[in-house]
Amino acid sequence: MNVIINQLFEIEKKASEQNFSGFERNLKRIYSELEEKGYKIINPIGTNYDERDSSIEANILNSNSKKITKVIRPTIYKTENDTLQLVQKAVVIVE
Amino acid sequence: MKNINIGIDLGTTNSGIAKYDNGKISIYKNPVGFKDTIPSVVSFRKGRIQIGEKAREHSAINAENVFSSFKRKMGSDELYFIKDLDKNISPIELSSMVLNELINFAQGESLKSAVITIPASFDTIQSNATKKAGYQAGFEEIVLLQEPIAACLAYSNSLNLEITSDQKWLVYDFGGGTFDIALVNINERDLKVFDHKGNNFLGGVDLDTLFVEKIICAKIEKATQENNLWSKIIAKENPIYNKLFFELLYKAEEAKKELSIKETSSIEIDFDELSISLDIDISRKEFESIVKPKFEESFHLVEKLISENHLKFSDIERIILVGGTTYIPYIRQQLQERTQIHIETNLDPTTAVMIGAAYYAGSKPSELIEEEIAQQPIALENNIEVEIIYEPHSKDSEELIVALLGESFEGYYRITRADGGFDTGLLKANKKIAEFVPLLEKTTNQFTLFLFDNQQKQIFSNPNIQITNGLYSILGQPIPNDICLELDEETGKSHMEIIFKKNDILPLKKTIYKTCSKNILRNSDQKLIINVVEGNAGSMVGSNLSIGYIEICGRNFEQDLLKGMDIELNFKVSESRDLSIDVYIGALDLEINEVFNPHQRKISIEKLVAEIKDALDTILEEIRREEQEENYEYLAKLKRSQESLTILYNEALENKDDAVTDKKYQIDELKKIYIQEFDDLVRHKHILFELDEYHSIKETFTFYLEKGSPRQKEEYEKITKNEKEFLQSNNKYLIRKKKKELESLLENIYVNQDESYINYFYMLRFKDPSDFNDSSKHSKLIELGARALDNANIPELKSVCNQLYHLLIVKPKRSDDFNTFDGNLGIK
Repeated sequence: MNVIINQLFEIEKKASEQNFSGFERNLKRIYSELEEKGYKIINPIGTNYDERDSSIEANILNSNSKKITKVIRPTIYKTENDTLQLVQKAVVIVE
Repeated sequence: MKNINIGIDLGTTNSGIAKYDNGKISIYKNPVGFKDTIPSVVSFRKGRIQIGEKAREHSAINAENVFSSFKRKMGSDELYFIKDLDKNISPIELSSMVLNELINFAQGESLKSAVITIPASFDTIQSNATKKAGYQAGFEEIVLLQEPIAACLAYSNSLNLEITSDQKWLVYDFGGGTFDIALVNINERDLKVFDHKGNNFLGGVDLDTLFVEKIICAKIEKATQENNLWSKIIAKENPIYNKLFFELLYKAEEAKKELSIKETSSIEIDFDELSISLDIDISRKEFESIVKPKFEESFHLVEKLISENHLKFSDIERIILVGGTTYIPYIRQQLQERTQIHIETNLDPTTAVMIGAAYYAGSKPSELIEEEIAQQPIALENNIEVEIIYEPHSKDSEELIVALLGESFEGYYRITRADGGFDTGLLKANKKIAEFVPLLEKTTNQFTLFLFDNQQKQIFSNPNIQITNGLYSILGQPIPNDICLELDEETGKSHMEIIFKKNDILPLKKTIYKTCSKNILRNSDQKLIINVVEGNAGSMVGSNLSIGYIEICGRNFEQDLLKGMDIELNFKVSESRDLSIDVYIGALDLEINEVFNPHQRKISIEKLVAEIKDALDTILEEIRREEQEENYEYLAKLKRSQESLTILYNEALENKDDAVTDKKYQIDELKKIYIQEFDDLVRHKHILFELDEYHSIKETFTFYLEKGSPRQKEEYEKITKNEKEFLQSNNKYLIRKKKKELESLLENIYVNQDESYINYFYMLRFKDPSDFNDSSKHSKLIELGARALDNANIPELKSVCNQLYHLLIVKPKRSDDFNTFDGNLGIK
């Protein structure tokens, strides 16, 4: 499932980069179905990188880097037996 | 006597821990993150000690504070200067920190003994240094085991190999940073490394970098205006190229994995800063061109080792693979082709060493006295008084956790979140600890506070720090009743589905997806009705207050709205209780948005009439049933309800065209009261009826569940999961919904059983022959079926049933067909 979510994430990213909103509802629908199935998908773009955040695998550009400027893949949590578990770390660039 | 049971692979690049339990090996997963192993890396920055993945993140930009590959220096007098602590630290201490981190994987378990693996090349001093690291990490008993032996044990145990004669195995260990080979002698009694070779600076990590340099950069240059791309990347002068490098490195790693399974892979590069937008195709052959020199280097050592021992490849029984690099198909192929030796590929080469160590630990009795093992941790945990203060409910994205320690304390603290997404690393602690922790939205975030002494030995933990974000909070305003959407049912009536539950906190929003339950042709007067009501979800729709009502008429459509089309509904209730409904029908690209507020009620007299009519029909059914029971008092009450509603019904019809007075509001109010009275009268009885039905269908499962597939069993668990909750909900619609789900599951299990075909055949056999198309074929099939039944030939019977079904002129309804009913509202 992670591969499918990553592909969706890519589609969403490309659509937004090209200012194309035609998929918005379809993507929202798919994300809503995924949520129903217990997935929590987080895109940390634009947030400040917290080095304590173990849901993120960061590539830090220099020692003063703070902001997450690029997300190559998102964080995915999944609810199993009523508890949330990290199933994919985000891969990001911090600059 | 207890066995040691714990096996640890303390690797140069990665480390892991596994446990032997009753013949099985389980690998402890990292509770922070989810991996089997951690990088053997430690970082010291701004008072924070991090071990593993997070430490490695800083290695490129903060190399002076990040320490890795210290295993190579075990047993030497080399010291590492830690700027942050202003002191020197030995490779033993760094290794003990990694070991302590591994101990944390086994949360709560008291680990006193372990088997730790060492390279075959380790001399006595290096081996003793490893033991010392183990004792420093808090183990009281350490047994060392050579890595190649561990790998052989993993394979021989997992494959249940019976070794009856002397054999020679070759262990080929190509890890991230080091390469080792060992020749192992194995027989029914023991395993022994009799020679080995290695290169401490030959590993798979360089492959990703080479992949970027030699293949990806070259392809980018060819397709774009970029020149000397690799030189720009390594010059580190322009941060844009650094950024590109990280992205390429990640994609190279992904492609490398894909090329292990497929012949080709493609990398997509979208890099705005340099206007690069490319798709690059890479073949396995191209990738192999960079693996080849590395493999040759390793194979040269293999050949040398074999010849130095006066052996031929044919003397070797099998090759055991260890290390992630051995996943590469080229390496496996070349080894196989050039040695003609059988290669074992059944185990994960990245965990084989720790698995073997655990097997060994499972057979090795511990020499520690058991009482000591049992008592010590309890005594330690009780030594310290800790008061933890935090806000259990929060609307914010982070919250403060404060811990006050009863006495002055010297050591470290660490806070982790149970889902694996947060870890402070080790931080110096004294009397007071204060840490802002991030919260995941709309869930209960469970944190654990750990305290460690200066030797990084755990002395306290509290895993019960729960902070709930957004689910409920005393700050928000709860809604007093359920807010529900009215939906069609196959009986021709309707039921309510909860959108927001009573006591949910405002503001609220939710998107739900429904389907259209009738055809609404364009330019027709037919309507799709969205009715949102506030009240008790378990009662009759008409007894509740309609707070949002939208009619969408076929006149507004540019195309027909057909049964089964999706309807997307967005509901929002603001803090001032405005309800906004956004309806979107994708197939028509039609979007309607309306906001309703408590002062503005919208009432459709037609809907009123329909609801009263529905209630009257239900009362009539009830009266007919009760007349046979001769329960006169109850009957009298039902008839009173019937009378009042009949009068109201006529009144509503008379005022159908009244657009001026308040009459419809009065009728609506009375309708709610009367239907509510009737509902109070029958609700309990209806719930009992639904409960009976539910229980009876559930009872059938005691026989059929075991015949279901694992997936069907899982489905059953899912349906009955919160059984207590929904059976006590007083909501007949909810119980009925669950009952239907069980019914449908039961039917799916039943249709695959032999007896279902036997019953079905009898049903077809006693149908009138005129119901079938081809009478001669029909009688022949009946004859064949009867014979198949006599011979208990179920496959043939199945086939006969299928053929007979196709001959039927009017096909019987399938359960799916009931879902294709025509609804009144148009939404289900």
